Amino acid sequence: MNTHDPIVGRYVYVQCEGKTYRTYYEEHGEGIPLVCLHTAGTDGRQYRHQLCDPDITQNFRVIAFDMPWHGKSIPPSDFYLMEDEYKLTTKFYVEFIVAFCRALDLRKPVVMGQSMGGNVCLALALRYENEFSALIALEACDHSPGWWIDPLHHPHIHGGEVVATAVFGLMSPESPDEYRWETWWYYAQGGPGIFKGDLYFYSVDSDFRDQLHKISGKLPIYFLTGEYDFACTPEMTERTAERVKNSECIIFSGGHFPTSEDPVKFKDVVTPVLKKIVTNDPERRGQGGQTGFRQANPESRSMGRNERPAGRRVIDL
Amino acid sequence: MSRLGSRKSFDLEWIEKWARRVNEDRILPVIGRFFNGRFVLGVDETEYLIEVRGGKISRIAEGLQPNDFGFDFGLKAPASAWAKFCQPIPPPMFNDIWAMAHPLHKQLTIEGNTLPFWQNLRALTRMLSLMREV
Repeated sequence: MNTHDPIVGRYVYVQCEGKTYRTYYEEHGEGIPLVCLHTAGTDGRQYRHQLCDPDITQNFRVIAFDMPWHGKSIPPSDFYLMEDEYKLTTKFYVEFIVAFCRALDLRKPVVMGQSMGGNVCLALALRYENEFSALIALEACDHSPGWWIDPLHHPHIHGGEVVATAVFGLMSPESPDEYRWETWWYYAQGGPGIFKGDLYFYSVDSDFRDQLHKISGKLPIYFLTGEYDFACTPEMTERTAERVKNSECIIFSGGHFPTSEDPVKFKDVVTPVLKKIVTNDPERRGQGGQTGFRQANPESRSMGRNERPAGRRVIDL
Repeated sequence: MSRLGSRKSFDLEWIEKWARRVNEDRILPVIGRFFNGRFVLGVDETEYLIEVRGGKISRIAEGLQPNDFGFDFGLKAPASAWAKFCQPIPPPMFNDIWAMAHPLHKQLTIEGNTLPFWQNLRALTRMLSLMREV
């Protein structure tokens, strides 16, 4: 008997800053578009659990794309002629996210990003508040220094093993081993120098400390940070959220990769946020003849071959 | 955990127990096959020289002598920080050596030539995590 995840993957051509990027994305679900941004040096597989969760996909069209240079999205065709190392800039990152959403004709999507994908939510709120309906910034803060370092891309060091191990401690020791090591594996598969180059955005080019007051508050922002995150500590997120209008801050007992390191716990943490987003979006709420947040029929769940842990976990908020 | 909370607990006897636990491990000879070298574990003011061959610990010594010809890199932290690191479920910011060494936290310093530290980070991380089983 064959068992499939319900995820469908496609390629879309995205125009950004004068170049065309063949961009891979996966999606599943119906409802409010929920565009998911992966962390530095990895790809959209980090959202495989959310893409398969009927409680989420009955309310949201979940879309996870791979940034250029990541996962199954290729670099620009002339990358081998570049005269500088790969560096992700705030400008390119923001423009690419907006261009991707436009390429898919998404109307007022919600963006959920983690780590660098969380930090970029601040730039989206500053520059494109009219393009989105809400932002979920996981493990995000206004400034996260100390990660743009050469050991992460050095010819005498195994890039895959070092970047994966460098981020391993960002996860909670209580997250399931199976999922922590799957996250390690995603990191070990990144292209040479791509994790480091993404961290140019994360640690150098995206210092929002002097810009937070310019965020109007028109766009609700939900900050969620795990207590084991040593790159963006709970204090760093709280400090940021205190200065962002129309924001909420939730600290939970997890780590830096909540969607992939402990998807069961993450579901408990994010579900109230998703319900709030559905409730606050009356225009699109209740598609399909129902109103409010739709709960999947437990019997209809198709979780694929990897069964999620059954026990409910307690979360300290 | 009170046993680990005092400076006295990280004596040479404790280091030996850890080294023997490391050498029983069946994964380290695989992921640490090319991990050869000498590093120092610093606990408060005490330095332990750790010699590694093929991912196993071949020798430990308390204090450095001229005949040692130095070491490759050193990991130095207060006993209180090592005690947190060694808990079965370590508290946030103390669960990982890079977490402790990161410029944001500075609970541990990496001294000497850091190239072999990064080169062997995967095996070293497992090796140190076995401190939680001593």
